[in-house]
Amino acid sequence: MIMLSINKLQYHTKRIRSIVNEIKRTTFCFTRFLNSKSRLFPLVFFYSFSLIVGLVGCNKLVEVAPPVTSITDDNVYASDATAIAVLTGIYGQLSTTSNYNSMGLTTISLFSGLSSDELTLFGGGTGNYNAYYTNNLSVGAGGFEYWNNIYPYIFTCNSAIEGLASGSSLTPAIKRQLEGEAKFMRALFYFYLVNLYGDVPLALSTDYSLNGLLSRSSKAQVYSQIVNDLKDAQTSLSADYLDPTLLNTTNERVRPTKWAAAALLARTYLYTQNWDSAEVQSTSVINNLSMYGLDSLNGVFLANSTEAIWQLQPVNTGWNTEDARVFIIPSTGPDPFAYPVYLSPQLLNSFESTDLRRTNWIDSTIVAGNTYYFPYKYKVNLQGAPVMEYLMMLRLGEQYLIRAEARAYQGNTTGAVQDLNIIRIRAGLPPTTAASQSDLIAAIQHERQVELFTELGQRWLDLKRTGSVDSVMNSVCPLKNGSNWVTNQKLYPIPLGDIQRDPNLVQNPGY
Amino acid sequence: MRLTGFLLLAAALHVSATGTSQKVTLSLDHVPVQKVFAEVFRQTGISIVYTESMFKDFSPVTIHMRDASPEEVLDKCLKDQPFAYSMEGSMIVIKKKVSPPAVADSSFSSPPPIDIHGHITDSSGAPLAGASVTIRGTKTGTTTDVNGNFELRNAKENVILIISYTGYTTKQIKTNGHDLTVLLSKSNSPLDEIQVIAYGEVSKRFQTGNVTTVKGEDIAKQPVSNPLLALEGRVPGLFITQVNGLPGSAVIVRLQGQNSILNGNDPLYVIDGVPFTSQLLPTTTGGPLGSSGAFSNGTSLQGNPLSYINPSDIESIDVLKDADATAIYGSRAANGAILITTKKGKIGQTKGEINLQQGWGHITRKINLLNTQQYLEMRHEAFRNNGATPDSNYDYDLTLWDTTRNTDWQKIFIGGTSQYTNVNASVSGGTSVMQYLVGGTFHRETTIFPGNFDDKKGSLHFNINSQSINQKFHLQLTGNYLIDNNLLPQTDLTASALNLAPDAPALHNPDGTLNWMVAPSGASSWYNPLAGLYNTYQNKTNNLISNLVLGYKLFNDIEIKSSFGYTSLQTNEFAPSPLIAYKPEQRSSNTSSALYSNSTINSWIIEPQAFYKRNIGKGRLDFLIGTTIQQNNSNGQALAGVGYNSDAVLANILSATTIVPVSSVASVYKYNAAFGRLSYNWDSKYLLNFSVRRDGSSRFGSQNRFHNFGSIAGAWIFTQESFIQNNLPFLDFGKLRGSFGTTGNDQIGDYQNLNLYSPNIVGVPYQNTTGLVPNGLSNPYLQWEETKKIQFGLDLSFYKERILLTANYVHNQSSNQLLSYGLPIITGFYTVNKNFPATVQNTAWELSLTTTNIKTRNFSWTSNINLTIPRNKLISFPDLASSSYSNSLIVGQPVTILKKFHQIGVNDSTGIYEFADSKGSPTYNPSYTTDQTAIIDRAPRYYGGFQNSFSYKGFHLDFLFQFVKQIGASYAYTFIPGVYIGGSVNGYNQPVSVLSRWQKPGDKSNIERFSSDFSTAGAYSYSAGSDAAFTDASFIRLKNLSFSWELPKSLLQKTHLQGCRIFMQGQNLLTITHYAGMDPENQGTVTLSLPPQKVLTVGFQMGL
Repeated sequence: MIMLSINKLQYHTKRIRSIVNEIKRTTFCFTRFLNSKSRLFPLVFFYSFSLIVGLVGCNKLVEVAPPVTSITDDNVYASDATAIAVLTGIYGQLSTTSNYNSMGLTTISLFSGLSSDELTLFGGGTGNYNAYYTNNLSVGAGGFEYWNNIYPYIFTCNSAIEGLASGSSLTPAIKRQLEGEAKFMRALFYFYLVNLYGDVPLALSTDYSLNGLLSRSSKAQVYSQIVNDLKDAQTSLSADYLDPTLLNTTNERVRPTKWAAAALLARTYLYTQNWDSAEVQSTSVINNLSMYGLDSLNGVFLANSTEAIWQLQPVNTGWNTEDARVFIIPSTGPDPFAYPVYLSPQLLNSFESTDLRRTNWIDSTIVAGNTYYFPYKYKVNLQGAPVMEYLMMLRLGEQYLIRAEARAYQGNTTGAVQDLNIIRIRAGLPPTTAASQSDLIAAIQHERQVELFTELGQRWLDLKRTGSVDSVMNSVCPLKNGSNWVTNQKLYPIPLGDIQRDPNLVQNPGY
Repeated sequence: MRLTGFLLLAAALHVSATGTSQKVTLSLDHVPVQKVFAEVFRQTGISIVYTESMFKDFSPVTIHMRDASPEEVLDKCLKDQPFAYSMEGSMIVIKKKVSPPAVADSSFSSPPPIDIHGHITDSSGAPLAGASVTIRGTKTGTTTDVNGNFELRNAKENVILIISYTGYTTKQIKTNGHDLTVLLSKSNSPLDEIQVIAYGEVSKRFQTGNVTTVKGEDIAKQPVSNPLLALEGRVPGLFITQVNGLPGSAVIVRLQGQNSILNGNDPLYVIDGVPFTSQLLPTTTGGPLGSSGAFSNGTSLQGNPLSYINPSDIESIDVLKDADATAIYGSRAANGAILITTKKGKIGQTKGEINLQQGWGHITRKINLLNTQQYLEMRHEAFRNNGATPDSNYDYDLTLWDTTRNTDWQKIFIGGTSQYTNVNASVSGGTSVMQYLVGGTFHRETTIFPGNFDDKKGSLHFNINSQSINQKFHLQLTGNYLIDNNLLPQTDLTASALNLAPDAPALHNPDGTLNWMVAPSGASSWYNPLAGLYNTYQNKTNNLISNLVLGYKLFNDIEIKSSFGYTSLQTNEFAPSPLIAYKPEQRSSNTSSALYSNSTINSWIIEPQAFYKRNIGKGRLDFLIGTTIQQNNSNGQALAGVGYNSDAVLANILSATTIVPVSSVASVYKYNAAFGRLSYNWDSKYLLNFSVRRDGSSRFGSQNRFHNFGSIAGAWIFTQESFIQNNLPFLDFGKLRGSFGTTGNDQIGDYQNLNLYSPNIVGVPYQNTTGLVPNGLSNPYLQWEETKKIQFGLDLSFYKERILLTANYVHNQSSNQLLSYGLPIITGFYTVNKNFPATVQNTAWELSLTTTNIKTRNFSWTSNINLTIPRNKLISFPDLASSSYSNSLIVGQPVTILKKFHQIGVNDSTGIYEFADSKGSPTYNPSYTTDQTAIIDRAPRYYGGFQNSFSYKGFHLDFLFQFVKQIGASYAYTFIPGVYIGGSVNGYNQPVSVLSRWQKPGDKSNIERFSSDFSTAGAYSYSAGSDAAFTDASFIRLKNLSFSWELPKSLLQKTHLQGCRIFMQGQNLLTITHYAGMDPENQGTVTLSLPPQKVLTVGFQMGL
């Protein structure tokens, strides 16, 4: 223990004073050192060294060229090839999506088939399959993937639309076509978003500070944007199918044309009950006889079939379509991972007995006495087989059914029956017996169910747009898994991350 | 004898025999000064000559000194008094101070000055450059040049020189001007241990920063293949997690907590002065090694680059924590720096050393899983609960398999023994102009999985030091080269060990082939996990780290040097998927394929530096200035091959019918900086340290490319003050230090400031052209994250260094957070890199106590305990509620928290889990937006280590207990009990704890009812996201045990051996924990990954 007497205090005061003096002396020494002429040389040395260091600290040494693996946005829209590659990138990405590893837009055939009454899940299933099948989606268990998958494509479209507008060095024809493709694709993406999720935020620029705060736009606003984009696309897009230079025509139907825009516009008008416009647009496609005609049932889904308005070229090495890969059940039977679904009895039972589609577009595998029926529109599922089938995005058959429905609602039952029968006759069925407007509309809906099954969610979207979803699902759900249908389940949940990150975004009811 | 005219000789002149000791210990209070002199004579035999009358006015003195020299005693007694003294042979003559004589008188009144020349060496004769030489009692002094030579002009005769050098015992030499050679011996004091710091080194005694050193010998005691694992439990403030138990596995390193909310939290690694990557490139082949933490945008990174450093080449690892130690590293050192110094050649005879080690590893613990009887009970009850019956086409575990079988799959898949082999040999030696060291190591570790998997490493380490004959020029070349060939299965079999139903079929048929247990449909009823082993993962890595230092002494006090470093880390990965790994029936519709990837990280660095040393006033000034020019190039490609005609040719990509590009990385990172440091040590009492750095980096936006960092630190060695010496004689060293400064974090990955498009790689290009895809959102304003560090420390040494205590208080605040700011995907991307004015604070107490409990001639026992009590806190986050972090962060809480549901148990009527909603009412379907009210913090509450070393003659025993108090993930909610999953899982076995499930209404249970389908999946996933999925994962682990016996010299005399040591070492030998899963460190039961292994080795070491 230190006991300080007065003396000691004085002593310490003295000590402190002497320390202060020492500091003063040291400071003096430093000053003298710095002023000293004899130290001039070292000082000069240090100053020049510091100067070198100062010079070194310039931008040149920390500037790097963009990575050789990528291109900066300034350059992308400065040349035709790279600008085209941005849109090609979207088609490639869409086409690469496999039903197993990610949830891209093209997997909607499988997953909305599980949501609706088209598919049965095998073996209890795992993870998301089960959540879709039991209509028990949640922000933790599926349904939000399409949102997550589609908005990045919309960003690319927006970036292309902005970049093309400022890219003056592009060939005018190419620039026009690309603007059309970008708007067409943006419309397609919003079409699926609004149908899967209801009201959705309408991001039309690349500005993240703006887009990050968007609230939901009403369905009407979204549809109006889709229509505007498609109208623009219709005027910009080429009437012929183009090769990847966008300068020559080709018979590969893998890039959107003005007919694709018209076909999607027809569907959009149908969904918004703008019957006359739907009829006008579908008619414009149907009347293009030099390009389009109905194929035989087994020819519809072949690459570049005459029925194809727009297809996606498969890009996964060794495979034809991803749909064939997941749907076709091999002789060993379904498998919870590789072949998790087969056709539901509801769908099978809805076919009329002589329907050729039942035999041409459906096949089965018998395992241990159980028969599993599966979609057989796409028939090539062997790895390494030559590529014969492309994924159908828009086809003429649907346009007939769109026009039939549009005509029926406008009271043109004769025209409607005509269009409906074109589809029925190809399927080997007798002409429709429906005569009244309401019977006819019901017959068209039924025809859509058996014509467009497991095709990019047509059934699920039809159920919802026609308002029959609750009645159909109320009877289907107990058959699927004993659960009860809740009407909120017709909209998929919005990703939790977006609800959390965008303060203006509200979740769909029930999630 | 030359005496001045003022000298008075006393009548009473004691002439005595030469003293026995030159050290004096005094403890006198308020005594006449004569009494002190008498005591000095009594203890040393040195007479002090004076006249009584001189001290008649002298006030009594109080003096407490221990082991002081007589001169020190006199200095103290006569301080600030008009007396001087001089040493005259074996006596000391006291005289009145001379007033400055008139100029005219000087020629005859002062003796002519002399020049003193000398040479200072260490005990091996090597010159000590930069040693300080001062004339005692004066401010005159100099430092030795590179040759160890010094010259003091115009000195008086018979002065006493104080010669000191960091890390050596200070010597006092009396001289009268002859050429001297002074030999300094290495100090044994722990306070004089050298610590490596940025661009230099310093002894612990004069350290102003918060630095912990782990010595090579402590690393050598541990059978580990990644040197980071040897630091576990040894360094206060450093928390290390081994991600899994595979050789080469990932390691997560947190130094003084998590500073960055989202971006890299890795320290800067510097190996022999060359910065080394803290993360490997992202791999595309997957692989089982695990992730060492996200680098940028959550990219998956595998393994840890420090696995490619050979622990046995390491001389020391210095962990730099505070601003004083790290600010000079600027924008890279916000998370501290870990400096690895490899072994160097030393002057002396050529020495050889061979070290052989062989060991065996096992998992630390098994988990108690259901046996077949219990499993079947669960499954049947699940079907009863659901009113369902097993499906013979699916529920094979009940319908097809032999339900009398019971296999402990943990024993089969992870119950094996791994082999650990390490052979190391080195030769070193040198003369004063050239020293060298060459060492080679072979290392092999196998896995505990069935099958032939192993990790083989060969490494070469060399070092050459050379000085020119005139000692002005010096060169040091160091190289470390390591080749690693790691062969592992692609998937960790731990998953099968835990999940497989206990009645699953035998792995092999009686004929030795794999058993697929074919179902009536003709399909295999399970995926035989051993088939998965055909999907191997091979990682071949070459790592070169080299450094050349050239130095030249321009003047006596100025030295320039430059280091040139080059590193190259090359990794080739190969991951085949042969047909034989498929189920037999799937082989016809599949083809074999393989993934090949190679990646290279090259970096070069040039760092010219200049040093200036000078004594100014009573102190010593050290000045350093330098600059850094650095470039990193990262390149990687991955290719997939498809369609081979045989599994045997998978290793050759040319055998593939189709080759598909998978990914490519090419990035360049440039870095440029200027730095400086000024240190001033005043009288070994007050220390002051400034450092600055100006940094520029290509990672940052064009608008914000340069930034300044700096620190100021001071220390006061208060035991140098006489009032402390007098009053606290038991305290032999005490230092208070404090530092303040700024450092930065630039771990965001390259090119984040550019808007980039990358090729969209697909198998068959769309329309035969390659598409472009935007990479992300760019931000040209990106800037450093800045961490302000304030740290205080106290170093104490008691009772002749028997007790050493170091305490640090840490207060770090990181602001300008470089957030990968979360965006809604509406914007096109999940994140944008952005500086955000959020502040994260890390405070901690870091304590380390080393005691020498017993020290006798033959026996010694020392202990060390270190403890870190960290606290992380989010200080501010503007507009948190509306940000993407609103659901993961809370101001005032640690950034490591997780927000979870609060599970309130199983509803006793339905048997389903219930959760509390935001209002506390029970619900089955809590909302992710509002009901995540439970807060879980998995960061450790406190952690540390307790080490004891015993040595008795040639025996040494050393053990280290590591302790961690933490919350971890519990295994209870990994999957729904009662469900069977086919495919690759083949069951879903559960821990026996599920048997306490709810069975009938009224049952109180914490486990919900068994279910054979997914009807309870919702409740299960909510539970997995609730507080019930977390449990106490604290543990105490015998991290290291090392026992060795040094053969006595007498035994070795007949051989040519210099030394021989037999040893036994163990790692993770014993774990004490309440944690119910396999291992509390990596909680691998939850991630289905292999826990760290316990390894026991034996070996011997020979010196030639």
